[in-house]
Amino acid sequence: MAWELASFPADLLPDQIEVEGAEVEIVRPGEPVRVTHVLDAVEPRIRPDGRAAFPTEPPAGEGRTHRLDGVVILSCLDFAAEERPLHEQESIVDLAGPGAGYTHFADETCVAVTFHAPDGARNEEVEADARMQTLALAERLASATLEAEPQHVDSFELRDVGGDLPRVAALIQLSDLGPLYYQFVYGTPAGEAGLPRAIDPAELLDGAVASGEYHWAAMRNPTLFFQRNSLVRSLYREHGQRVNFAGVVLMRGYEQSADDKQRAAQAAVERAREIRADGVIITTDAGGNSHTDVMLTCRACEQAGIRTTVVLAEETDPESTRPILTDWVPEADSIVSTGNVEELVEEWKPERVLGGDTLLDGTDAANAGPIPVRNYLGAANQMGQLALGARTE
Amino acid sequence: MKAVHYVNQFFAGLGGEDKAETPPTRLEGAVGPGRGLVAEGIEIVATIACGDDFFAEHEEEALATLLDYLEDESPDVLVAGPAFGSGRYGYACGTLAAAAAERGTPAVAAMHPENPGVDAAGKAYVVPTAVNVAGMRDALPRLARLAAALAEGRELGPPEEEGYLPRGLRRNYFAEKTGAERAIDLLLGKLAGETRTEVGGGLDRVEPPAAVPELSEALVALVTEAGCVPQGNPDRLQSVRAQGWFRYDLDGEDTLAAARYESVHGGFDVTLANEDPNRLVPLDTARELEREGRIGRLHEAFYTTTGNGTPVVTSTRFGREIAGELREAGVGAVLLSGT
Repeated sequence: MAWELASFPADLLPDQIEVEGAEVEIVRPGEPVRVTHVLDAVEPRIRPDGRAAFPTEPPAGEGRTHRLDGVVILSCLDFAAEERPLHEQESIVDLAGPGAGYTHFADETCVAVTFHAPDGARNEEVEADARMQTLALAERLASATLEAEPQHVDSFELRDVGGDLPRVAALIQLSDLGPLYYQFVYGTPAGEAGLPRAIDPAELLDGAVASGEYHWAAMRNPTLFFQRNSLVRSLYREHGQRVNFAGVVLMRGYEQSADDKQRAAQAAVERAREIRADGVIITTDAGGNSHTDVMLTCRACEQAGIRTTVVLAEETDPESTRPILTDWVPEADSIVSTGNVEELVEEWKPERVLGGDTLLDGTDAANAGPIPVRNYLGAANQMGQLALGARTE
Repeated sequence: MKAVHYVNQFFAGLGGEDKAETPPTRLEGAVGPGRGLVAEGIEIVATIACGDDFFAEHEEEALATLLDYLEDESPDVLVAGPAFGSGRYGYACGTLAAAAAERGTPAVAAMHPENPGVDAAGKAYVVPTAVNVAGMRDALPRLARLAAALAEGRELGPPEEEGYLPRGLRRNYFAEKTGAERAIDLLLGKLAGETRTEVGGGLDRVEPPAAVPELSEALVALVTEAGCVPQGNPDRLQSVRAQGWFRYDLDGEDTLAAARYESVHGGFDVTLANEDPNRLVPLDTARELEREGRIGRLHEAFYTTTGNGTPVVTSTRFGREIAGELREAGVGAVLLSGT
């Protein structure tokens, strides 16, 4: 299968954007803006053949898709109904200042869309509506590319490579802890999507996975991180160079019982075996319980002779000299740390706040003092999208 | 820049092993190796010293006196050692440096990396040295450089750049490659036989204790991390990242009534838990067991916190504190409900 991704310039973005029932603001690169209550980040995409950019059934990763380069939609929503985690787990994107180091959106044109929860509406309904509207907007904004010439076209195809390069696969965990805490695979919550299963890596890059997961902001994997997945793109780049890219296996995070966790870990090994992986990179989604799923998968792979590297974030008291991971198995001897979410990011006073003026803890978003890394959207995301790391000092 | 230098009885020129019982003492200016630090540009206003045996045998007293000396001088930095491979001297250097750092005085000690004093140094810095005094000439300039940086209040870079031993604090940094690229490098290295990691593992394994010998005579307490609190959350227990724990009297009740208790846990859907709080803290069943004589007696209060996103170090402290109170109350067994 071959898939082409054509990139178009950001100046195709219209100056006026309207979304029913929501406020829309366009923020140019470098503007001193803080965006709060961020649900998701999505790159504008469209398929010229009329198929959906975020399809609810396969296939994705075939034919051609258009993207607006350097444009990101940030959907924002302050949930009204009682749901404690959502009231505690603030999600911020700083487009300038010290917090800008924790996102790659600061160099891009951001379309901030602020949705509002109608009185009495259930959180799930409000979330679903905002999510569908955001994905629809992503297609609408990219439609300007249909009449334009691309800047460049990337082609994704796993041609056969000879030699004895190691076969490397990405095992990508997707959370499913129920409504508001799940990722979608072709529009189906991860827990009902028949995971673990192997997919063509291009499917992941082409809208097969979308985010509806609103846990700790820093450890979230927003939709854009799948669309522009650094791990999958790097493995394509290395294919035939240092690795033989064996494929992608999607796994569920937050299996709910000890038996299910063991079974799922074993099933992931089977999928990795089927694509004949010598080694796998296991990524993590959100925190706590999902770290146990990752560790059990790591152990099961190692026991089956498949070498592993695990990607995860740390939640360590920055003043403690005893860093301890949420979970760990001795087989996890090769771990990439995507940062310690407990560290504070220096104070910054934005000139403008979008998304909502008051943070979920009641502080004024324009004057919030130092903010922990954990509140910055995707800052310590555990697919290794960014360059943040933690080291012992 | 003002420095205070700590040395043992030997390096203070007070005598050898026969003077190891010398109590803390304060000397004007630089003494012994301190002169070498002065030559490197460190201004030493006072030298404080203690016999190695005295420190080991009267740690609390020695530490208190040495900290008093330090407070009198209020220096910009405390320098301790070098202690090289000497275990007792290194321990004193590390312990004093840690205590000074805790109190806000930047502190650096110097010793061999395997000296037990390294572990004692906590958040203070330790400059590595050779195992014996032959390493003095090599150690002093490096020690002086770090002391000067600390005295100036300069933000230090990573250990290998600044020349100190890692203290175990995890600090964020921006790497040259994305985490994904680093993962590919690590995996290819591992497949080629060279395994590396960016974070060490290790867990506090909690061994299951032996069975309670006579449960029918034991005082049993209910403890939970389910965020179960009296309705309205009067003490404002956090839903995530708890800052503490609470103790609530059961007032002799037989059940946790939904009208009186709720869960404020932020990590799961609490709807079912709040329909019947006994699902989190099984007071109803525990009372039955008490009536049937299968447990001796139920403790008069239950303990609660929220186990959600709390750093392990913090939860460990909660556990110690709660266990301390329970032990004092004579509790012999705990029913710990997790979520």
